[in-house]
Amino acid sequence: MRSFRHVRATTVAEACALLAEPGTRARANAGGSDLLGALKDGIYPEPPDLLVDLKTIPGLDAIEADEAGLRVGALARLADIARSEPIRAHWPIFSQAAQAVASPQIRNVATLGGNLCQEVRCWYFRYPAGLGGSIDCLRKGGPRCPAVKGDTRYHAIFEGRGCFAVCPSDTAVALAALDAIVVLEGPGGARRELPVQDVYTPLGTVLEPGELVTAVRVPPPAEEARSAFLKFTVREPIDFAVVSVAASITLRDGVCTDARLVLGAVGPRPYRALEAEARLIGGPIDERAAVEAAEVALAGAKPLRGNAYKVPLARSIVMRAILAALEG
Amino acid sequence: MDEATQIRLTVNGRGHTLAVGPRSADVAPSDTLAHTLRHVMGLTGTKVSCDRGACGMCTVLLDGRAVLSCSLLTVECDGSSVTTVEGLADPETGGLHPLQQAFVDHTAFQCGFCTPGILMSTKALLDENPEPTVGEVQEALAGNHCRCITHYHVLEAVQDAAGRMREAALEPGPTVSESSSNAPERDVATGTR
Amino acid sequence: MAAGYRHIGKATERADARDIVTGRTRYLSDLEVPRMLYGRVLRSPHAHARILSIDTSAARALPGVEAVLTHADAPDWRVGTPRVVRVLDSTVRFAGDSVALVAATTEAAAERALELIEVEYEPLPAVLTMDEALAPGAPEIFPEAPGNVVSAGTPWFGPECLTGVRMGDVERGFAEADAVAEGVCGYENIPNPLPAEPPGVIAHWEEPNKATLWVSSQAAYQDKVVLFFAFGRQVDVRTIGGPCGGSFGSKLMSVQLALQATALSRAAGRPVRLVMSKEEHMAAFVLRIGSRIKAKVGMKRDGTVTAVAGDWLVDTGYYSMTTQAQVAVGCGEAQLVVRSPNWDLRSTIVCTNRTASGIVRGFGGQELKCSILPVVSRVMAELDIDPFDFFKKNYVKPGDGYFWRDGQWYTYRGIDYTTAMDAGAAAFGWKDRWRGWLQPSAVHGTVRTGVGVGVHGNVDIGESVSEAWVRLDPHGAAVIYSAASEHGTGQPSNLIKMVAEVLQLPLDRVTMTPADSAITPFEFGPVGSRGTWAMGGASIAAAEDARRKLLERAAPTLGRDPGDLDTCDGLVFPVDSPENAIRWNAVIGREGSVMGEGRFDPDFTLANCMMTFVEVAVDSDTGKVDLRRVVNATDAGTIIDPPGLENQLNGSLGSAGIDSALFEETVYDPATGRVLNANMIDYKWRTFAELPDMKNVVLETPVDSHRFRAIGVGEVATAPGPSAVLMAVSNALGMWMDEYPVTPERVLAALGKVPARGRGAGGTAAAATDSDDLAAGADR
Ligand SMILES: Cc1cc2nc3c(=O)[nH]c(=O)nc-3n(C[C@@H](O)[C@@H](O)[C@H](O)COP(=O)(O)OP(=O)(O)OC[C@H]3O[C@@H](n4cnc5c(N)ncnc54)[C@H](O)[C@@H]3O)c2cc1C
Ligand code: SF4
Ligand code: FES
Ligand code: FES
Repeated sequence: MRSFRHVRATTVAEACALLAEPGTRARANAGGSDLLGALKDGIYPEPPDLLVDLKTIPGLDAIEADEAGLRVGALARLADIARSEPIRAHWPIFSQAAQAVASPQIRNVATLGGNLCQEVRCWYFRYPAGLGGSIDCLRKGGPRCPAVKGDTRYHAIFEGRGCFAVCPSDTAVALAALDAIVVLEGPGGARRELPVQDVYTPLGTVLEPGELVTAVRVPPPAEEARSAFLKFTVREPIDFAVVSVAASITLRDGVCTDARLVLGAVGPRPYRALEAEARLIGGPIDERAAVEAAEVALAGAKPLRGNAYKVPLARSIVMRAILAALEG
Repeated sequence: MDEATQIRLTVNGRGHTLAVGPRSADVAPSDTLAHTLRHVMGLTGTKVSCDRGACGMCTVLLDGRAVLSCSLLTVECDGSSVTTVEGLADPETGGLHPLQQAFVDHTAFQCGFCTPGILMSTKALLDENPEPTVGEVQEALAGNHCRCITHYHVLEAVQDAAGRMREAALEPGPTVSESSSNAPERDVATGTR
Repeated sequence: MAAGYRHIGKATERADARDIVTGRTRYLSDLEVPRMLYGRVLRSPHAHARILSIDTSAARALPGVEAVLTHADAPDWRVGTPRVVRVLDSTVRFAGDSVALVAATTEAAAERALELIEVEYEPLPAVLTMDEALAPGAPEIFPEAPGNVVSAGTPWFGPECLTGVRMGDVERGFAEADAVAEGVCGYENIPNPLPAEPPGVIAHWEEPNKATLWVSSQAAYQDKVVLFFAFGRQVDVRTIGGPCGGSFGSKLMSVQLALQATALSRAAGRPVRLVMSKEEHMAAFVLRIGSRIKAKVGMKRDGTVTAVAGDWLVDTGYYSMTTQAQVAVGCGEAQLVVRSPNWDLRSTIVCTNRTASGIVRGFGGQELKCSILPVVSRVMAELDIDPFDFFKKNYVKPGDGYFWRDGQWYTYRGIDYTTAMDAGAAAFGWKDRWRGWLQPSAVHGTVRTGVGVGVHGNVDIGESVSEAWVRLDPHGAAVIYSAASEHGTGQPSNLIKMVAEVLQLPLDRVTMTPADSAITPFEFGPVGSRGTWAMGGASIAAAEDARRKLLERAAPTLGRDPGDLDTCDGLVFPVDSPENAIRWNAVIGREGSVMGEGRFDPDFTLANCMMTFVEVAVDSDTGKVDLRRVVNATDAGTIIDPPGLENQLNGSLGSAGIDSALFEETVYDPATGRVLNANMIDYKWRTFAELPDMKNVVLETPVDSHRFRAIGVGEVATAPGPSAVLMAVSNALGMWMDEYPVTPERVLAALGKVPARGRGAGGTAAAATDSDDLAAGADR
């Protein structure tokens, strides 16, 4: 790892100011479970010269639930989210998604903000500098994407544009199905709120220099909502998703009145299958409905040469998630 | 905001104060906890294999929680208490912790390179859950790689250790850190799990 | 368990157990040598390129940097068979090849120095696959390998080193067959044995020509021998082994690393530690060989094989050190499994611009069998032969013969493994679960269950030479002089048990010297499964020799014939009057010791055997293959240490074993030849969360090896599983699966849910063969 200065922030404003300072290449460090790996691999053309520790900001790890919904600070650890009683009771797929991340040791340090803002896992992007130098690519500001003509078995089947890396965050998928809002704060007290899937762009995130995720807000669950989070991995975790699906379905008198179907690891952001949601609403949910909705959900998929298998795979996970939600 | 100039760590019950600086006895901001433990403090029981958070070999306890020392900056552990594999045995007598004794009795290792990490993950689990199911042990160890495949013996050893520790907790008198050094005889043909 | 022994067969504490669980065990990267520097290697981005220029001035100027070496100033020491790979070369031959070496006072300085080295390359066309390498007019990797074909045979195995199997008349054999199958099948995912501890070495050069190396391998003495030749016979080499954090064979291939560290030490005048990072371990160390065979097999209805013909292509990567040896042993092992009077099996070793292949548990035989067994399966299916019956019938029996690695014919004099196979089948419930070829044993919704079986064996249990000395000390203790270091198998502890048994000492009275070539006699090392018989044989012989000398020296004092005497617990006594015992120190004196010598000479007439049964569940919607159950069945003659043996057999999953059929593979970028999954997230390994039900059935039929009538079975544990998994998945799906690993993509493609992308796709991109021509021939 290249050497850097290290400061401990005590307020959000201070952290934002440090990160935005012109002339420095500063980065925020939360749990560090992603950032330190990226730095050791030397993947950044311009490695940071300053790390700003966010963990020293008091209160940013709070988990608060009331009638208005849930508010989770960006520094809340995934282990605490997975374990939180109110989250397990009212937003279970958020807890399950947090629990599905990595390993117990990582969840003990990994934060929600870091999970949402982690770098993509594309193996070209992450290629370690120690093996003959890192690989330049579009996402790093380079001219082209070397992955498209390479091995894309884990890449996007939806919404890829130029870059085909997928959003690796498990919590983002569950949060998108829960209509969660991400709170962003920037230098000079700037503050904005975005639906979680809108944080991502095909080449990164919408975060401006100096901007931080400070919290995530989740509305209270609909009374009759049932949900499921399924994560398909090559082998049992520790592992990133090949495809994940969060489904949230509201049933009144046997009829679906509202639905969220969100696919993870299929595109640069959690992918909401709007047409499939529409297909579910208004009818009963049974195996046929689930199969049909899954069909619709994947109808627009545009696989690359090397990942066509993700389409039928995702289709069956969507179908299973819908049925699992009924049980949930 | 501030920039640390010195780092206070309690490691296996002993307090250490380290300067932040460039000398090899210091902590550089980019030093990982694993590096500090191994190279500054000489506690080489903690192993580094992947150095990327993916194998669990560097697992230590940080304020009681299992964490990966290769993926933590030492400067960010200021004020914390760290337990490494060297801190498991009884500091007075050197007697093995029941967990260690169970690993010895079950030969729950082959090359042993992963063993310190597995012991520390297990320690964290048993501290929180003294009566884990096999499934819970598996889950707690999901981030610990063992290439030799000692998983089956480890699962037996952990159950055995948990039992011994529960018994010891019930018994009055000194805690049990001794037990027969000869494992119960086992029949290879019975398999595991 | 063999009755009447004091230590043998008991679950005893491993000698190093307490050190391991307390963190006191010192592996190579835990060692510090005074004034030691840290070495690092600059690696190539290109799979094939000429180095036009290297500017190291900025690196040399960096504070803390003590030595920088390039091809221009590195010594001309070489590795490889033939010896073509230099410490550093002006041509790089795989993405990750060494370009320059740095030694510095800190790791950080060495790392930083690498970034300051400027290299100008002229990229050359690369051959990333065997097909590219063998194409007419293909660019050549070494002039010594014309057409990218590496010379056959290794001098280590003598002038007639086995390169294939030729006997009888295959054409006549095919004519006599009831069915013949022909096809191409490969095991080309080149998985990584991936021991936990990365490879490394500490080298200390002393002028004019002395090199001391601390190595991390199981066979420190063998390292000395190999290095002696690599140094061009000019250097006085001393190797010191210690605890090794796993090897599975691979760490014996640390030769180039050792040369590089020594070159740095010579240049810097200080000891240098060179330890690979995990990514280097995964992309620039050694992998399994790639294997593909075009084979033709003829069989009769009763399972008698009438002929085997095949062209075996072996992908060795950018160089070969032991591939010729693996081909030799692989060809030998094939004959243990398939008994046929007519053979025409030929091999070609191909070099490609990818990471080198080296030794991996399975050593040629696993690779060959994983490739050829799917073809053999086709004939069995054609004739409706149960594969278990087939293996049982064909596995080598007393009186059968085979050509072994030196090209000589040997007659097998070991036990009949039929009983062990039957016991395994009973434990697994094979007869209930086998429903016929391409028949699932159960279908529940989308989950289809299938079973498979494989078998493997090796004659390496008696290969090569072992030597040991046993010293008796006056106070009733014994020291074994042996270069056996612990790498996970427990063999050093087993040697202690055997010696303690011979001398009737408590275990804690027997210790072993460090594996230091300056201390111990020659030891080929615990490679293959030779530890129990070959190494055990040497230690037992040494202990017996020491015991004999002790009794001879005691005889005058006790006034009896040595033959009337015995020893136990440090006492010598007449067998008929143990009350007249005297202590060892009364025999040896306070000042002195008794030294016994022992040696094992190669014996290729015994083989071990491992049969593996697997059950898989395949989800036909997601393509996921779950390994549900594994039963390993073997006969060890006598079990020396039950938990140690069980550990070894459980190891059948890892170290590029069974899991190489499920999810393990090295993924190359098809355009650049760079390893894409050189990290432990993208390289998949088995976690605690996903463990199949595992059962090991071990019989103990005394075998004519040494006095404890035991043989080793550890190494072979990985080999029968992968092809068994392929068989099980084929049965579960009702269609043939011929490629490793069986990824979700391949399963979904087989089911027609995604367009098939041709052979090689959906797994290792570098693999590309033609699967369609694997079809069973017509009945004759
Ligand atoms: C072996 C392994 C397995 C993994 N498996 C999974 C998995 O299955 N699923 C999954 O989702 N993830 C997985 N991860 C990624 C894991 O690192 C993240 O899930 C983790 O949550 C990151 O949190 P952190 O606090 O450690 O982030 P950090 O490493 O501290 O930060 C990650 C990035 O986000 C930025 N950042 C951090 N906090 C903020 C903030 N508040 N605002 C703006 N930017 C911020 C940092 O600058 C950095 O670039 C895995 C990682 C490893 C090493
Ligand atoms: S897919 Fe995206 S991250 Fe990966 S190489 Fe292409 S541009 Fe870079
Ligand atoms: S060394 Fe820390 S997780 Fe692998
Ligand atoms: S015992 Fe070798 S890696 Fe676990």
